[in-house]
Formats: sequence, C-alpha cells, structure tokens
Amino acid sequence: MAEVVFSSWGRNIVDNRKGGEVKPASFKLPVTYDGERPLSAFIGWDGIILYNKDVDIPVMLAEYMKRAQTKYVCGKCTPGKKGTRVIMDALTRIVQGNGKEEDLDTILEVCELLSHAKCTLCPSCAVPVRDAVTHFRDAFVNYIRGAKSLSKEFTYIEKYTAPCMDKCPAHIDIPAYIEAIKDYRYDLSLEAIRNSMPLPSVCGRVCPHPCETACRRKNVDESINIMVLKRTASDYEWMHERQPPMLPKPKKGKSIGVVGAGPAGLAAAYYLALEGYPVTIYEALPIGGGMVAVGIPPYRQPRHLLQRDIDIIQSLGVEIDYNCRVGKDISLDELKKKHAAVFLAPGAHRSKPMGVEGEDKGYQGFLTGGIDFLRAAYLGLPTGMGKKVFVVGGGNTAIDCVRVALREGAEESTLVYRRSRAEMPADVWEVDGADHEGVKFEFQVLPTKVIANEKNEVTGVELIRMALGEPDASGRRRPEPVPGSEFIIECDTIIPAIGQDADLSFIPAELGIDTTKWSTIVTKYVPLKGENGKDLMDSMGNPLSRTLITNCDGIFAGGDAEIGPLTVVACIGSGHRAAKVIARYLEGEGISLTDDERMEDILSYFGVYDKNEKVSWLDSASREGQSEIHGAERASYKNYCEVELGFVNSQAVREAERCLRCYRIGMVAV
Amino acid sequence: MVSLTIDGKSVQVEKGTTILEAAATVGIKIPTLCWLKKVSPTGACRVCAVEVEGVDRTMTACNTPVKEGIKVTTDTPALKEARKKIMELMLVNHPLDCPVCDAGGECDLQDSCYGLGATRQEYSAVLERRPIRYDWPILESDPNRCILCEKCVKVDHEVVGCNAIEVVDRGEATIIDTVDGKPLNCEFCGNCAAVCPTGALITKSFKFKGRPWSFARVQSVCNFCGSGCQIEYHAKEGRVMRVTSDDATFNDGNLCINGRFGYSYLESPERLTTPMVKDGSGKLAICDWKTAISTAAGKLKEIVSRDGAAAVAGLGSPRVTNEESFLFQKFLKGAVGTGNVDSEAGLGFAQAQALMAEKFGFTGTSATIDTIDKAQAIIVFGTDLNAEATNVEYRVIKAATKNDAKLILANMRDVKLKKFANKNLKYLPGSELSLIYALMKAILESGAPLPAGAEALKADLDAVTLTDLAAQCGIPADSIAQAGKLIAGKERVALIFGSDVIRSQQAAAKVAALADLAVIAGANRENGGVFPLDPKNNTVGLLDMGVAPAASAQGLWGIVEGIEKGSIKALYLMGCDLAGFPESARMKKALAKLELLIVQDIFHNDSLPFADVVFPAAAAAEKSGTFTSSDNRVQPLAKSINAPGDARDDAAILADLYTAYTGTTQKGSHWAIFCELEDATPYKESNGSYRKAAPAVKSAHAFAPVAKAAASAQGKLQLLVGAIGFHNGTSTTRSENNLSVSPAGYIELHHTDAVSLGIKDGGQVKLSSAAGSVTGTAKVSDKVQPGLLFAPVHFRDLNANGALLGNSNIVEVKVEKA
Repeated sequence: MAEVVFSSWGRNIVDNRKGGEVKPASFKLPVTYDGERPLSAFIGWDGIILYNKDVDIPVMLAEYMKRAQTKYVCGKCTPGKKGTRVIMDALTRIVQGNGKEEDLDTILEVCELLSHAKCTLCPSCAVPVRDAVTHFRDAFVNYIRGAKSLSKEFTYIEKYTAPCMDKCPAHIDIPAYIEAIKDYRYDLSLEAIRNSMPLPSVCGRVCPHPCETACRRKNVDESINIMVLKRTASDYEWMHERQPPMLPKPKKGKSIGVVGAGPAGLAAAYYLALEGYPVTIYEALPIGGGMVAVGIPPYRQPRHLLQRDIDIIQSLGVEIDYNCRVGKDISLDELKKKHAAVFLAPGAHRSKPMGVEGEDKGYQGFLTGGIDFLRAAYLGLPTGMGKKVFVVGGGNTAIDCVRVALREGAEESTLVYRRSRAEMPADVWEVDGADHEGVKFEFQVLPTKVIANEKNEVTGVELIRMALGEPDASGRRRPEPVPGSEFIIECDTIIPAIGQDADLSFIPAELGIDTTKWSTIVTKYVPLKGENGKDLMDSMGNPLSRTLITNCDGIFAGGDAEIGPLTVVACIGSGHRAAKVIARYLEGEGISLTDDERMEDILSYFGVYDKNEKVSWLDSASREGQSEIHGAERASYKNYCEVELGFVNSQAVREAERCLRCYRIGMVAV
Repeated sequence: MVSLTIDGKSVQVEKGTTILEAAATVGIKIPTLCWLKKVSPTGACRVCAVEVEGVDRTMTACNTPVKEGIKVTTDTPALKEARKKIMELMLVNHPLDCPVCDAGGECDLQDSCYGLGATRQEYSAVLERRPIRYDWPILESDPNRCILCEKCVKVDHEVVGCNAIEVVDRGEATIIDTVDGKPLNCEFCGNCAAVCPTGALITKSFKFKGRPWSFARVQSVCNFCGSGCQIEYHAKEGRVMRVTSDDATFNDGNLCINGRFGYSYLESPERLTTPMVKDGSGKLAICDWKTAISTAAGKLKEIVSRDGAAAVAGLGSPRVTNEESFLFQKFLKGAVGTGNVDSEAGLGFAQAQALMAEKFGFTGTSATIDTIDKAQAIIVFGTDLNAEATNVEYRVIKAATKNDAKLILANMRDVKLKKFANKNLKYLPGSELSLIYALMKAILESGAPLPAGAEALKADLDAVTLTDLAAQCGIPADSIAQAGKLIAGKERVALIFGSDVIRSQQAAAKVAALADLAVIAGANRENGGVFPLDPKNNTVGLLDMGVAPAASAQGLWGIVEGIEKGSIKALYLMGCDLAGFPESARMKKALAKLELLIVQDIFHNDSLPFADVVFPAAAAAEKSGTFTSSDNRVQPLAKSINAPGDARDDAAILADLYTAYTGTTQKGSHWAIFCELEDATPYKESNGSYRKAAPAVKSAHAFAPVAKAAASAQGKLQLLVGAIGFHNGTSTTRSENNLSVSPAGYIELHHTDAVSLGIKDGGQVKLSSAAGSVTGTAKVSDKVQPGLLFAPVHFRDLNANGALLGNSNIVEVKVEKA
C-alpha cells in the first residue's frame, strides 16, 4: 500500500515526514500514473498529497502556478489576473535562488486576496500554494538561502477541470458554455458544447445530466440548470436560422467505417470528419439517431431537431448508409477490408426477456419488449397494441412506453414495478410526467403469469405483491413476494420493459473480439491499480481507463455495446474518445491515451466534486426552470408535440449568472 | 418587493435588483470601476465587494441580486483594506505614462486609486509589455493600459451587436483584441473607446489634441440620421476636436461612426467660405454678403415681376434646422408667393408620411423609439437600419437580445440585423407587396383576431394561397408561416420600415399595405409602434415646417419639368444638391437652363457650377436651432464653433434675403424664429424638452383592398441604391475619419452574376439604365442576391443616383465589364 508522506487534502493534515507512527491516509488515486510510472504527488484545489518525499515541493508549486497563470487564468478579474502573476513570479524567483523571505509573506497575503476573485479557479490554486508555504516553509527558505535542489527530476502533468465537467461523461466544458450565455454569446456557447458534444439539441433535452449532481451551486442552494442552458445555446442557432460554423480539415486518405448511427457512432463520425477523415456509417434502421430516434419519444426529443443535428454531421462529409445491417447486408469482414479502421457502436436494441410464465407462448398482445414497441411506434409501423396496456419495468424505457401508449390510443396505460416509486431508476421528472398524463401505477408487485383466452389473446396478467426483505450485500433491501397475495389485472397488451442489451451476433468469432456475458464488447485498458492492488473500475464496472480498441487490430468499439446500456451522453463521450484514439491510430501514433485523457480518467475516479464542501455564497438567485405544456391533452392521441419548452433567453442569462465557474487544476508529479 | 438592510438603512426594492442598485436607492454609493449601467454586470474589478451577514466571503454588489432579510455592509475596515489592495494589484505594471495618456484627467482608474487610497505599491511582477496597436483605423489600442473591465467588449457585443473585439489569451497576457488578431475591422462607431475607463482604447483623431478639461463643451443633437442622438461637442481653438455622448442621454451615450467621427467634415477643404456671384464672364466670383444678397433678391424680383411668382421654386434640406426650414418656406411661399417648394423628402418619405397621417393620424413615428426596447415582436421591413438609423438598430438589438423580442427581417439583402433575426425574409426585388400580403395572411392564419373593417381584405387574402404569395417573393412559404406565428398574439409589436419600401416602385400601394399589416400585427396598439424612417436627421422637421409643395403648386418633379419647359426660371437650392439626385444627368441639364440659380450650402457640390449666386452656410456644429427626430422629439442644438470664413447660418442668410426682398425686417435669430413657428406648430413642452403634440388617433382603420403587384422583373438585373453604415448622405464623404474606413463607392453583386458576367471582385463594372450609366469597382458579395446589385448612394464620384429613374431607389440595368 502506497504510503502518504504528507497530505493536506480536504484540510486534514497528515504529516509523516518526521518519522514516528505513520498516520494512514487513503485517496482514490492509482498507484501508478499510467500502469508503469509511480504517481509521486498530487496537488490541486484542496491541497497537497505527497507519496514520494523526493518531490521538490517549491519547484512543483512554482510550476503549478506558472501553468495556472499562463495557461488557464482567464484574466477576467483583478485579483485573479494580477494576483496569480505576483505569486507566480515570487515562486519563480525563490526557486531560481533570487527570493527573499518577505516573498513568502507576500505570497500568503496575495493568496488571501484571491478569496475576492470572481470565480473559483484562482482561489483554488492558492490552496496548495498556501499549504506548501505553511508546511514546507523550510524548503522554500533553503532556496532563498541559496541551496540548490537535490531532488530527482519529475514530470508534471496538469489537468484543468471542474466538478460538472468532470462528472459529465462527455466532459463538456460546462463553465465555458455557461459563461458564454451569461455574455449573450450563444454562438460561442454552442462552440464550447460542440467541442465535446455533437448532438446539442438532444443532450439539451434528454440528458439525465449527471453534471447537475456535481454542481457546486448545489452546496449553496440548487444546482445550475445545466441541461436547459445547453438547449438554449442549441435552440438559439436553430431559432435564428444560423448556419453552424464548423469546417472540416483538409480531406485525408484513410477512411473509417462506423457501425451504427446512434449517439456513439455519430459522435465518432463527427470528430473524425472534422479531422478530415472520410467516414461512412452503416445503420440498420431507416433513420439515424439510434436509441434517440427509436427509444426516446418525440415529445421529449422532436425528431426534426435530432435530424438537424444529424444533418449538420452529414454536412461535414459523413455518409450514412441506411437500412444496412452489418452482418446481414454487409459483413464485418468486408467493412474491415474497406476501411482503415472500424468503430463498432451498434447500441443495445435487444429486449431482455421477463422470465414470466406464458411469455414464450406467442400470445397476441404480448409484445416482445418496450424498446421494440417504441421503435415500431416511432417508425409508424403496427405496434400490436390494444386498448388496455400494461407495462412492466421501472426505467425510462418503461415510462416512455406507458406515455407513448397513451398517445397511440390506449384507454388505460398501467406501469408495474417491483419496488417502490422512490426506487425507480427512471428519472423523477419522467415519472411525474407520466403521472400528470394519467398513467396508472402499481408498485411493489411482480407479474407472475400471462393470462390468455382460447384465441391466444392476452386478457390479463397475474401479479403478486412484494414486500421488502433483509438488506443484501449492496445494502439495498430486496423485494420478496408475499405468498398468497396473487391478483389479476385485466389487459389486452403486455409490454415488458425491463432492460435491453446489445445484439452482437454480427461479430464473427474468428475476428477474436472478446465479449462479456452481459453482451458487451471488451476493449483494452490502462492497468491502473488502487492502493489495495485491485484494478480500478468505473461506475459501470468497466476498467477505468480504456483505449476502446478491441482485441482485433483496427477494430474499435464504444457506446452501449461496449459500456453496457447507459445514456446518450455516455455514448457520446465514448464516441469522442474513440475518434481521438482512432485518429492517432491512423496517424501511426499508437493507441495509448494522451496525458489529458489519462488525467480525465484519473480525476473522474478521484472525484472533483465534494458534496460536503461548504460553499460560501449568497443564495439570492434561485434556479430557473423551463416552462412546459400542462394538461392531459398533451398526451392525447398522436400528440407528440414537445412537452418541455426550454428557457426564454433572458431566463437563460439569469440562470447562467448563477454559475460559480468552479474551474480548478489538478497536477501530478510522476 | 424584497426588504433588506444596507449599512443599517432599510431598503425595499423589486426582486432581481442588485445590491448596488438597491444601495443607490437610499443614497449609498458603493465604489465601482467595471460596472456600466447599459451592459450586463461583469464583476471584473471586485472593487464593489460588500459584506453580507452570514456569508463568509465578500459578494460583489454589481452582480449579486438582493435577498429578503439580508444585512449588507458596504464599508468596513476589512473592505477598505481589500479594495485598496485590489487597486494595488490592478496597478501592478500599469504604465506610468499618465502625463501623455489621452485619458489623463478623465481616467476612472486614476479616480479609483485616489478614492480608494491606493497610494503605494506593495506588489510586483515581471514587467511584460504588449504591442500597441497603431495599425487599427480610427482607434488605437494600448493593451498595457487596459484593466480588463470588459466594458468595450460588452458594449461592442450587447449594444452594437458587432463582436469585433473580445478578451483573448490567458493570465497576465490577457488583453482585449480583435477576434482574429488582425487590425480592427468593424463599423467603427467608437462606442467601445467611449466607455474605456483608461487610455487603453483611444481615438486617433483626438490623440494629443488637448487635455480633457481644456475643451469648451456644448450639448447638442447629432445632425446625421433621424435617431436624434444627443451629443456633446468638445471644441478648442475654433475646431471641434471630438464628439461624445453621455450615458444619461436618450441614446444611452451610444453613437454611430457618423455621430462620433463624422464631425471631421467640418474641416473639409470643400467647405464654402465666401459668398459668390456669377460675373460677366460667367464665372463665380467672390463677393461680400451685401452684394450676394442684393443680387439674389434683385434677380428674384425681376423674374417675379416679369414671369410671376410661379416661375420661382425652392428645394429645401433635411439637414437644416426647423427654424431655417420654417423661414425658407416662409420666404418662398409668403414673400415670393410661390408654392413650388419641395425637398428630397419628395422622393418618397413625404408621401409615405402623408399616407400614415391619413391612415393613423400621426406624422414621424407613432411612438418614441424607446418603445422598441420592450417590443415582443419586431418587423423590420425594407431598411438596413445600420445605415438608415443606427440608434434604432441598437434598440432592436437590445429588444432581441435582452428582452426576448422575436425579430422578423424583410430585406432584399442580408443586413447586419440578420444575425439577430428569427426569420430573415430575403425577398425578390420588387416583391414587397406579395410579402406584405403573405405576412398578413400568415399572421391571421396563426390565430390573430381579424380587426374590424378587414373583412374585405381577408376575403381578398383568402383568394390567394400563401404558397403562391411566397413564391412571388422567392421565400419558402414555411418561413413566412413561421414568421406569422412569431408575430400573432404578441401584445407589443413594432413595425419599422424604410427606404426600400418608401422609395420603391408602387410605393404608395406598398406603404398602404404596410399600414394594414401594422393593424393586423397589432403594431398600432398602445405599447406598439409604427416607425417609417428616413435616413436624414430633420426630414420630419422639414415637413412639419411646411417645406412641401403648396396645393396646386409643383413638387420636385414638377419643378424639374417646369425648368425644362421654361416656366420655372429661378431655383433656390438650400442644402440640396439637385445635380446629385436621381436622373442626375437630366437634373444637370435642367440646372443649366435656369436664369437664376441660388445655391446655399456648406460644401462645393455638383450643382454649384450652375449657380448664379452662392451663399456659404454654417453646419450644425456652427449654429443653434432645433431638429425634430424621426420620433418627433424637438431637440435644441447648440453652437460649438464659428462657421469657416464668411459662412453664416442658413437662418441669418434667409432673414437677410427676406428683408432685402420684402423690405420688412425679418429676425434671424433661432429663438425669434422658434417663437414665431411655435404658434404655427403643435409643439408641447415637457421636462424642458419639446415634442410634437400627440396627433388625434384615428379610431377606425380603413383597409386598402389587395393591390395587384407589378409583374416581377425576373431574369433582369436591378440596381438598388441606398445608404451604408459608414456614411450618411454625402456629408460624411467629406469627413476624413469616415473616409479612412470607407473611402470610395463600389458596386456590389452576387457571385453567380459575377461569374456569368465574367466580372471579378475588384474589377471595373459599368451599369447602364434609361437614366444614365454608372461605373465603379465590383464587390462580389452574397449579401445581395442573384439579379440584384447594390451601390451606396453617398459617393459623388460613383454617383449611383445617376442610374436611378424617378423616385424609385431601384432600377433595371444592363451590366458589363468596364
């Protein structure tokens, strides 16, 4: 286990330099930076973590401040612009042997002045400086007295981030796009978004916005409405009929084939096309957008806006071959021959079975799955739905099914879930929306049997009540059936919506691409290990830092089929990373991650947001909410009009004003 | 309302008010430096930091909204110390060239340092100097003096809507620069330099002209467009050295290039400085005023006694004051006895205004232009506001960006407002009527209530399809339908229109249709507004004063015909260069035919060679009087400097001429004339300023039947002549400042036409119409459309008006490589 020499992280001082009994300290950092080089120190917004006593703290801090001041300080407030420069020059003077002891006092004084700064970047940079001058004063004084550095050379790698930006799976520079809105620069805002997110109209509407759970404004009052601000920037361009400004670089020779025109495939195609690569997407469906197009209802994501985003991607030269199912209309082998690289992003469009008696009997009215039902509805195909619809599941797909069923003419639309409402994985606002539209709910029940008549038509479903049992290993109390509580609900349609996975049958075994038992594609990763020697995993249980190349040279994978079914934004992040890796691969630069990507992964594991931080700010501006259409008629027959209406611009500017701009810089010594 | 306490005083303000604004309501002044009322708060300087009980850090008063019950302290020893130290940080490496800095004496940084007690420097950093941008036209940027308050960037973006400059680079290297790092290339309104608190952004024309306190300052009114911006002349040694505008003015201190820099025309070598009369050899010879006046009066009397008063005509000017216009028409109509009086307003604006008066009862605009700020939907039809009324454009930008207004733009060209428009309806030349009807139809189809009396119009509109109308104007029907949706149901609607309608072919029908559109859109309702605009400063005043043909007398074209037929023998041109009007070749011929031509002007102009008597006149900065803005504000201008040489103000000249002609003394002072005209005009005074009394509002609107649109000229090339933002009229083409960024005319054409005609950007192109030909440099640009060429009206060398026929600003032309 890596031993911490010194730490001031989180204002908790652990100092093991003097010997004696070693005080333990543990951080969610890998023991190596890249699987090989030990991570010797980490400094950042909340202090210093020193693993190797040979790290020259004055030199590291001088370098930290220099990078902060010359590369990241925005210059938009006096203490930030000038104060960090005064500190930087003082630190530089000291390590060059030209410093004075008074410089240390000046540094501490200016660190204090930085508390008046406009945003969080400069004050947070002052934290490790203040800690160093306080706890490593001798080291500075040695320099001032003319001592030369005796310690080894280290490489320093820094990363500019923010809690929201870190938490966003696509790592959008959220503070930048919010600041642009504050300045009425919707164009610059959208530019910042598009740097990491080529489907802004989509992620401005349907993103589960994990960023908002890591918003520091939450520590003051409520988080910033980050998602709707993104929609504002995106809608502004559309509502003002502006042409997107992106221009691809000069055309390159090597082409890329992408399997699937979903969020991951489109994102990869977009960034590769911008780099000048010819990209062809092979899409099994007649339309693009993947799960956004056939999973998310149009009242949440208007199709013309999804199409606008896709059109913009195509305008960069991306070709989309629709109705072309890889494995049927063209083989993966052929793709591999045709293109210099192939990116697999087929998504997860296969419904999982429910495991209920009678589900395999082929009864009329028992539909194969929620995602199939939605796809048919959106493509205008017969859905097989009757008048009394019964949906099983607790996720967003289940909610979409009950709400779409109403719009497809269901007289009754019921959702059953085995746990309680509070435990539904679906987003709260989605459940509330369904409630508002007249959906019926049955909680803590489990379907046990499909009931059909002699004509093999579904007539009802048998259910059993569930009660919470003892907590399991995860601490969650598992629902267990209550014997004898069976009852029957009449219905003519049952839609199981309990999850989906990827259909990977198009990948021939001989290519040697590994897959998991959850039907996901395995990709290579950086072997990062924690202090306990275990591999570091991300929140989906996948290796933390992945290169997205499969075991087969030239074939990469991403999106739901690589991560496991997740979110649009995660797939876009995955597609973006894949594009960068593929570009390096095609340029013959290998497939290793860049420092920026490594730090991105390390920090996302480390955590940039601290929900316990006391953020001092006057809570006088409350969160703005978007307006929406009310009343049951919004879910009337075939009414797929958008329910949520976004912000008016002045409201967006007010909301943007609330942002605390929580940029910060972390830096490692390796 | 929110209640809070500031420094122990209790304050009640509206929700959303900032602490700074709340403090001001009870007379507590919190120091600021980067705060500027007219733009969004920046919070850059941190000088306004205050303490709020229960909040551990300081909050900036300028951008923190109030909260119920908070206790704010604005002045504590800790705050004093923090502000002082922040100022010290701001001064780190600030240049010490205050003695020669343009801002010295009016520098907010100096004042703040002094006020906040930053009397010594405790901090230091390695000195880095950034290059001074001497390579920008009109402005100069010294980033070393910049304190990054961002006022310039915000004014540029939020007020002007221009995005020419931005904050670039990082850390101590952060500066304000052009977006692309190239020399500044913008509309050069100078509003950025005007708000610069230091000497970082300065104007070249003012540099080293004197210390700020050494100028004589007078408040006046801008004399270029009809926005009526309030300005201040700074003069020294008999020269205007700069023009500024205070943020407390009606125009929020915002000007355009003409208002701020156009003053350099005052020193043009083309200024007329001495009276002249034609001598025996037919040449103009310098003379004294007495000779000039008596020659003019004598010849006029001779002609009137021989041929009658109808043989005399006069053309006035929208550039002169109300008093001068009043006296001009009084002289001609009263003393001479001729009704043949007109001006360039006779090219269309006078007729449009008469139509508005007939339909609605108002002249000028129906509401003041600040009404536009709060409009929810704005239709800007047939005008490039940037060129015709820049401050009206700023209002539209404000409404669209800050107040959520929907903007519908209808223009043949892409104009600056396009980037703010929700719908840019780029219509085919001449298809205005179809577009107006299409918009009416779209608004009604979007559920707007049918106004009383519009049943017949509705029936006419029902007889045509939106698709057909849209096809006639070359716009997708869907776009027009969406525009209708954006307008329908809005409470506050503004309809703004200008030259491309007012001076179009079939203008009467189009303006009448626009009036009907105004009613259907609801722009005639309270809080809305109908804004017909003319690009000159006192066109409305000129018409108010009666510089218009008397009943049964000749207007502009009648006068020209009269000269041609020989029935009109004497012409008095006051501030009117008839030789530069449409059909200029014909005009020159007519001028040559006159027995007596009196030219009264501030410049040598193209009519001058035909003059028998020349009166040199004073420009706006050289006299007093009043101008009436497009929106009916009657505003006084004040004399800043003396006119050059023997030039005199028009009122004095007119009074002398009147006296000489009639033998009765006419007073020539502006105040005397104002008192005289006040009896004749419904002016009313409020808060020390004059405004025309509100006209009687007509209760019932008479809708015009749907008029038949003239056959479109598709496949033929048309030349549109109009204003550009860098100039106003021909005056600014004598201004060095304006010429430094817009030196010459050009002919703009679409790349498809350029290709088919084999014309290259920068090559010479010749346009010929039935009126004459124009040759100029080609500028290939897709701001126009295939089949449409555009030429700026201002440049006498290009003389784009020479190709125009009649009142219309658009004409069919043959285009060839020159």
